[in-house]
Parts: sequence; structure tokens; C-alpha cells
Amino acid sequence: MDLNGLSADQAPPISAPLRFFLTAPLFGLLAGFLILFADAGVLNSRYSLESIAVTHAITIGFLGFVMLGALTQMLPVLAGVRVPHIGLVSKISHAFLVLGTLFMIFGLLGSYSKIILSASVFLGIGFLSMIIAMLIALKSVSNITASVRAIITSLVFAFVIVLIGIYLLSSYGIGKFSDFHSLLANVHSVWAIFGFAGVLIIGVSFHILPMFYVAPRFKKFCKTKVVWLITIGLILWLILNLYEFYPVFAKIWIANFFWAFATTVWMKLDKRRRPVTDVTIFYWRTAAVFMTLGTFSWAINDFYDDEFISMVSILIGGGFVLSIMIGMLYKIVPFLVWFHLNSKGYMSIPTMNDMINKNLARVQFWLYLVSLIGFMFSYYTPEILPIFASTFILSMLILEYNIISPVLVYMKIIKTKPEFDMSAFNISVEGIE
Amino acid sequence: MATIKEYLSTDHSRCDELFANMEDAVANDITTSQEAYGEFAQNTERHFQMEERVMFLEFEIKTGMTQGPTAMMRQEHTQMRSLISDMKIAIENKNKDKFFGNSETLMILMQQHNMKEEQMLYTMAQQHLSAESDRIVDMMDSMVVEK
Repeated sequence: MDLNGLSADQAPPISAPLRFFLTAPLFGLLAGFLILFADAGVLNSRYSLESIAVTHAITIGFLGFVMLGALTQMLPVLAGVRVPHIGLVSKISHAFLVLGTLFMIFGLLGSYSKIILSASVFLGIGFLSMIIAMLIALKSVSNITASVRAIITSLVFAFVIVLIGIYLLSSYGIGKFSDFHSLLANVHSVWAIFGFAGVLIIGVSFHILPMFYVAPRFKKFCKTKVVWLITIGLILWLILNLYEFYPVFAKIWIANFFWAFATTVWMKLDKRRRPVTDVTIFYWRTAAVFMTLGTFSWAINDFYDDEFISMVSILIGGGFVLSIMIGMLYKIVPFLVWFHLNSKGYMSIPTMNDMINKNLARVQFWLYLVSLIGFMFSYYTPEILPIFASTFILSMLILEYNIISPVLVYMKIIKTKPEFDMSAFNISVEGIE
Repeated sequence: MATIKEYLSTDHSRCDELFANMEDAVANDITTSQEAYGEFAQNTERHFQMEERVMFLEFEIKTGMTQGPTAMMRQEHTQMRSLISDMKIAIENKNKDKFFGNSETLMILMQQHNMKEEQMLYTMAQQHLSAESDRIVDMMDSMVVEK
């Protein structure tokens, strides 16, 4: 059994997750500016280059970065494994992903063939280095829990969607599109949202909700079956798509489980034992509502010839996935700062609640929620889009400030001398099996 | 009889419940929350001692790993004890913000710690100490907490 996750020393360096977390809102900002200066009509078309650029500023730049950062931190705790050379791998992955995402966005917007091709290589290296390193680490897990199973499943989906993504982006680079382009683009987006992000969120929620809020634990059926049932649904959806035989049935199948999950989250929060209501609760509840609306809109969108795909993306990508990611940042970043400082022997550390201004976090949440709702109305009234692009930009600015604040606390305290010398506790557990 | 893993995992849940009761009590009225705090602090201290004075010791003797995972768990116990005593000071000073700041940190630290124990250390202890499981659970059950 690998016990590497059992100490602060063996946990990844604080820079590994923070690097990803602090970059995410910056891509959110970039997405906001792209929306602000884009033509609303063009953004409503799913295959326009502007839409693809904005979507990936959020999905890779924000969601992907937060998920990868969170995984570096969660793997030692949830699975008891440590990604080999995580400090180095995260540095390489982060650098390639930053470059890759920027190259992709500006390459697509300017139709620069070589930049787009470089982006597909950079993004491939950035994602695959991390995904493969994590999958290798997960091979040594002896006690496979429901969360670990979900993490492995989501990483396998991530691996496939990255390969498809590289292929799709390269097609834009060389300007040639195969007959399967739109099918692959569909698989890429659906498996990314439901297979990678969705399954990861569900798997981690089995622990996070009872853990952070003392909410009732998830039922055994949820923990052992739901990830499989969603995976079956996603594969079935692919097969029905290939044969063009009523893929809507598979969509309804998948939608049902995500709707059930959203309802379960809402009910568990109602029954939580902790009386504290902070901004993270708002974010979970928002995610539950948007997922319920989004998942069924996605399923019935087939009957409307995919007309509402932008709405579905806002509801699910923004309202569900993005909400949960932001909520997680508010919990994880201050905790990491506290934990790493305390483990180094610093005792006079501000509490987690003192590190982020609660009122500012609330302002950020409301601006964000208003932006999401505004984006949906902009579908019908495009002229109001710049207003909500501006509120979104503001919310991302405040978010960046809010999560940098604890990091500044860390940087200030780490320069001082610790109250206790913790070196006596720095015990290596290498070689323990 | 419960195995070591079952016994200690159940005790984690009990401490979680007492933690929630304590937060409830402080949220309602911090001036009357000492009893709920005491319940939580005493039971959590008992849990720490059951591990440090019984289970960890048995595990270390059996495996020879005195400087391994148990040392790290002891270190986290020290971190948690410090937060629990800070919470006491916050209650005495009737400072709700300070209390919830510390309780928030403790909650995450405690849950991370419990997860690592339940998924790794207890499973490992159960494998190494299965023959003595009943005796060890008995010893933990009848242990008197040291001040």
C-alpha cells in the first residue's frame, strides 16, 4: 500500500495546485473580453471560430485548469497515491497548457494555420503529460473506492477527448475537414462535459459534500452504480450516433442520472448538519438548478435541430461545471494556505474565513449569476450581451483577487521564521509497501 | 465484534456528529455552547488517544514502522488539538467569527485526516493486526482518557 499521501511533506508542493488555480480566472477574464468584443450573432453559431475560441477559453482555460489543479491535490487524499515528480509534471503541463490555450484562441480568431497547429501540439503535451502521469499513479491503488473509480473513469474520458481535440484542432490548422468532423466534435464536447467533468464532479462529491458540510452520505447505489450507468449511456450515445438511430434515447438516459445527481445535491444540502451558509453553498445550489435545466434542454434539443445548443452550453458548462469549480476554489485555496503554513511550523495564521473577504465573495457570486442569466437572455436580445460580458469580467476580476488574497498571506508569512521547528516530523515513508 | 477499521471509522462519524452539534450550538448562542464544545473536544481527544496509546502502538510494534505513517498521523493530531483549543478561546471570548474560522479549518483538516486513516492506515492495520483485532478493540473501548 502506498502511504505517500499521509503527510504534508509527501503532499504535492503548494505551487502545483495553486499554479493552475490562479491561472483559471485569468482565462475567465479573457473569455469575458472575447464575448464583449464579439458579435452576438456569431457566438450563437456553434461552429463559428469565435464560439470555439470563447468556449475553450472557459473549458480548457478555466475548467480544465481547476480540475487538473484539484486532482494534483486530491489524488493523495482520495486515492492515497502521489503523482511521480508532481512538481515538475505540473510545471511542464501548466506551461504547455497556457501556451496551447492562448495559441488556440488567437490562432483560431486570426486563422493563423501554424499557430493553430502549434496549439494542438502544446495542448496535447500539456494535457497528456498530466493525465498519463495520474493514470500511472492510480495503477498502484489497492483500495479502489467509488471516488477513485470515478476519477479513473473521468481521466480515461479526458484522455480520449484530448486525442479527439488534437485531431479536430489540427483540422482547422491544415484547413481540411474529414466527413467525421462534426460527429467527432460532438463526441469531444459531450464526453468532455459529461464524461470528464461530470463524472469527476459526481465522484468527488461523494466525499466533498459529507466532508465539507456534514451532509448525509450518498447511498451505496449512487456510489457503486451511477458512474457505470453514465459511462454506458455515453458509449450508447456514441453508438446510436454512429448509426444515426435515435441518439435522443441515450441523451435522456444520461440526462436522468445528472438530473438525479442535481436533485440529490440539493436535498443533501438541505439535510446538512453544518449551519454555516457561505458562498460555496450558493454555488452548489446554483449548479444543481442549472444542471437540472441544462440536462433536459440538452436532451430535447435534438427535437429542435440543435437550435438551443448555446443555451445548453451556458446552462451546463457555465451554470453547472463552472459554478462548482468556483465554489471549490473558495474552499481549497485558503485551506491549502493554512495547511502548508501550519505543517511548516507556523502557528499564528489567519483562519480560513479571515483570508477571503466574505462580502466580496458574495458580490462576486451575484455578479456571476447575473452574467449567466444575462447570457441566456442575450440569446434573444443580442444587444444586451456587452452588459453581461462586463459583469462577467468584473466577477472574474474579483474572483482572481479573492483567491490571490490567501496566497499573499502565504507569501508574507513564509518569509518570517516559524514558531516551531517541524523538521523532526519530516519523515520519509519511501519504501513502505 | 467490530474490526479495528469498523470501530474507529464509526467513532469518526460520531465525532463528526458532535462537531455539527457544537457548530449548531455556537450558531444559536455562543454563550451557552460550552457543553457542546466540551462533548466534542473530549470525544475527539478520546479518539486521538485510542489511536496514539493503543492502535498506533500495536501497529508500530507489529510492523516495526515507528517513524512511518503513524508518526504523520500523530503530527496531524497535534495540528487538530491546536485548532480545538483555539476554538475554546474563541468561545470564551464570545468571538463567533474566530470560532467559525477555526472550525472551518478543523473540519477540512479532520476530514482529510479521517479519509487517509480510513482508506489507508486502518486497512493496513486491519491486515497486520487481524489476529489481535478483538483484543485491540477491547483495549480501546475500555481506555481511560489521560488529561
